[in-house]
Amino acid sequence: MDSPQNISMEEAFALAEAEAKLSAALLESKERFSKATMPDRLNEDWRFGRPHVYARELAARITAAGQPRQAAPLEQDDDLRQTEMLMPTIGSDALLALHLEHFGTGEAHYIEENTTTPLHVSYTAATALTPSTFIMVAPGIRAEVEITYTCADSSCIFATCNIQVAEGAELRVRVHAEGHGTDARCMLITNIQNMGGKVAHLTSYKSLRWAREETVAETYTPDSETRLFSANHLIGEAVLDQHTKQIHHSGGATSDLLYKNVLADNATATFAGNIYVAPGAHHTDAYQSNRNLMLSEDATVNSLPGLEILADKVRCSHGSASGPMDEEQLFYLLSRGIPHYEAHQLIASGFLDEAIEKFNN
Amino acid sequence: MSLVIKNLHARVKDGAPILNGINLEIPRGEVHAIMGPNGSGKSTLSKVLCGHPDYEVTAGSAELDGQDLFAMSVDERSRAGLFLAFQYPVEVPGVTNANFMRAALQARLPKGEELDAVSFYKELRSKMKQLGMDPKFTARAVNEGFSGGEKKRNDILQMMMLNPSYAILDETDSGLDVDALRIVSDGVNAMRAPFRSFLVITHYKRLLDYIHPDVVHVLYQGQIVRTAGFELVDHIEQHGFDFLKTSEE
Repeated sequence: MDSPQNISMEEAFALAEAEAKLSAALLESKERFSKATMPDRLNEDWRFGRPHVYARELAARITAAGQPRQAAPLEQDDDLRQTEMLMPTIGSDALLALHLEHFGTGEAHYIEENTTTPLHVSYTAATALTPSTFIMVAPGIRAEVEITYTCADSSCIFATCNIQVAEGAELRVRVHAEGHGTDARCMLITNIQNMGGKVAHLTSYKSLRWAREETVAETYTPDSETRLFSANHLIGEAVLDQHTKQIHHSGGATSDLLYKNVLADNATATFAGNIYVAPGAHHTDAYQSNRNLMLSEDATVNSLPGLEILADKVRCSHGSASGPMDEEQLFYLLSRGIPHYEAHQLIASGFLDEAIEKFNN
Repeated sequence: MSLVIKNLHARVKDGAPILNGINLEIPRGEVHAIMGPNGSGKSTLSKVLCGHPDYEVTAGSAELDGQDLFAMSVDERSRAGLFLAFQYPVEVPGVTNANFMRAALQARLPKGEELDAVSFYKELRSKMKQLGMDPKFTARAVNEGFSGGEKKRNDILQMMMLNPSYAILDETDSGLDVDALRIVSDGVNAMRAPFRSFLVITHYKRLLDYIHPDVVHVLYQGQIVRTAGFELVDHIEQHGFDFLKTSEE
């Protein structure tokens, strides 16, 4: 890192200290990456995920792009890095270590006042981008955040996002990742820590050749309420690989997940979700539903909902349903004169609207 | 100008025949009723005319104002002026009534012409008021969570908005309480016009007391076996369909 000229001794010490911290962090990240195992086909969390292709290609693209570090550490670099180092993944520890080594951009938001309009966070990748976002909402505060990831053709975004919601806070986070061209790729690792607030989190992916989502939602105190949604219309050769964990560390909390996809052409969707209720976390309410509308016989769905309950007195359910468009629904629309294409579009968007509406409400 | 059905034979796809040579002509401006015992083919006739994919026509023809009905796709038949009020209206989650109706009306406009949103909502609300429907229903998904009566009213609302030339009401009275039956019947009667026909399928006299048909047919074993005036409704009400079996013997 180049040192600016004409700076005070104090500033020089601060810069040197920051540089030393950064070097140490980089070293630690490299070491962590070298010890971690890249996902392979034996990794259960990458089941159906073709890790030998997608994980390795993602790593190769990021390494090849040589993501430059900031000329000076970000003001919030420490917070971003430290929270990221503690992030749980779902089968991608090695990739997270790679992210730590390469992340050069990010935003940290400490929301301490009610917001009337959504806070926008936006990242755009030309080749490869490894951003990190940290959102912390103070007790009793209501906020809304929109995070947008945009990938140019043949580019990739590998992003992490840490969300912490304090007691009595309410947060809605809408995450949208979109690609351009035919080979844009995206991977998002998200950790939501709910300490007694209400969180609604919606993801959507559009025009991406490949996308992987790992979302771990943890509740630590009673009365926490976490709702997870996803709504996606997958076309062409798109592959969407979603993995979630709803972890209830303490009782009396609620989590609810609804992930819905419409699949056309040769699209593939994989969903693997797990509800974990820790020993003693009684009076937990946790639900999980993955539903897929398949518009093509060549589309593929792999759905693996799961429960791991180590407490009594809980209400938990999980379910999955995948199938073609309901012929009676289609006939009903056609019988009112709505042309075939528009009828398909209406039913498909209506199918996804359930998740979007629930998020909005 | 009429709906003309000649020697119509149809069956469930790869299944047994249900319609065995139906002949029927409904000129514009007339209201016809079809009655008949369970399993005689009444609902099948309505679905075949509208092009339901579960059925196939094995012989015969149907013409709508001179156009070959069976040469048209399901949506084309609707846009040509045919309407079916379903016996069991379908729930379409996520698609609001307003969007559903807008799409149906938009499809009737010439290419490039946009539906006027203001007059659309004005008309929709006015028709809903006429049918005693809550205006909030515009934002609700089509028939989702509706009671049986609400679904039937919603179908009649669609009919009123789409303004068809030929409307088939398939057991619209089933599931309606007395008040709802009167409201729905009033809605249908308000639409009676010299340029519009109705084919009312029902088991019961009570609907026909409100919608007084010009012609009554009895469908039995896939054929029209009796055609008469309203006196036939009274006869069936008093004696049931036993006279069909007697004449068969």
